[in-house]
Amino acid sequence: MKCKPETVALMHKYLDGELKQEEERELRTHLQQCSACQNHFHELKRTITMVGSSSHINAPPDFTKKVMAGLPKQKKRNNVTR
Amino acid sequence: METIIKQKIKEVKKGDQSSFEDIVSFYQNKVYQICFRMIGNAHEAEDLAQEAFIRAYTNIHTFDERRKFSTWLYRIATNLTIDRIRKKKPDYFLDAEVKGTEGLDMYSQLAADQALPEEEVESLELQSYIHKEILALPPKYRSIIVLRFLDELSLQEIAEVLDIPVGTVKTRIHRGREALRKRLRHV
Repeated sequence: MKCKPETVALMHKYLDGELKQEEERELRTHLQQCSACQNHFHELKRTITMVGSSSHINAPPDFTKKVMAGLPKQKKRNNVTR
Repeated sequence: METIIKQKIKEVKKGDQSSFEDIVSFYQNKVYQICFRMIGNAHEAEDLAQEAFIRAYTNIHTFDERRKFSTWLYRIATNLTIDRIRKKKPDYFLDAEVKGTEGLDMYSQLAADQALPEEEVESLELQSYIHKEILALPPKYRSIIVLRFLDELSLQEIAEVLDIPVGTVKTRIHRGREALRKRLRHV
């Protein structure tokens, strides 16, 4: 198997969970032999971990209240049943 | 939860405004986070997220209940945010990126509230760094990275939110991932 970009494409397919069994074997065999690709793969996985672990940010405490206050005035039609 | 939300949407459609409160309260953090990660500062993110919910409310009758509400809502939020990014003057935008004060303020507030030990403050600095690196990506990659790695949406869902083919989503994820790899490899 040639080094890049074919290998890199396989890495991304792997990270998207779309690698076929045969391709996975191909990728694994290559990674065992090529330290440059191994390093590339490691960096990609690390990047995903870093981005994914960046803390979740919450909306300000009075957010919902402000949205509700900003809604257009409600029409009186609560009791309309047919 | 989806069932409760579905019920609430029905009530809102019937004219019960108060039922919308539960919907906002349930999705507020997700929507706010998408806006914040894409636009980069807390004040504008709040503004955009509020606008997204108000639009969702006024257009609720166009929401098809057979579809996923979150996808529809995220689409409103990302469209609004992308529009805002486009309208920003480039010089102001650059300035905001370099200083990034509001983003930093936000992280320092977090740190103060919880009185974190030193290593966690360091990690907040790292978080702020990662946030800036995401912001440095072109908007079309940024939205995808945020939806994929922070909200863990599937490729199909992202395609629906952004109204682009799944193939395009894949290409942009690959490129975005490579760009971030280069930016974060030395951290």
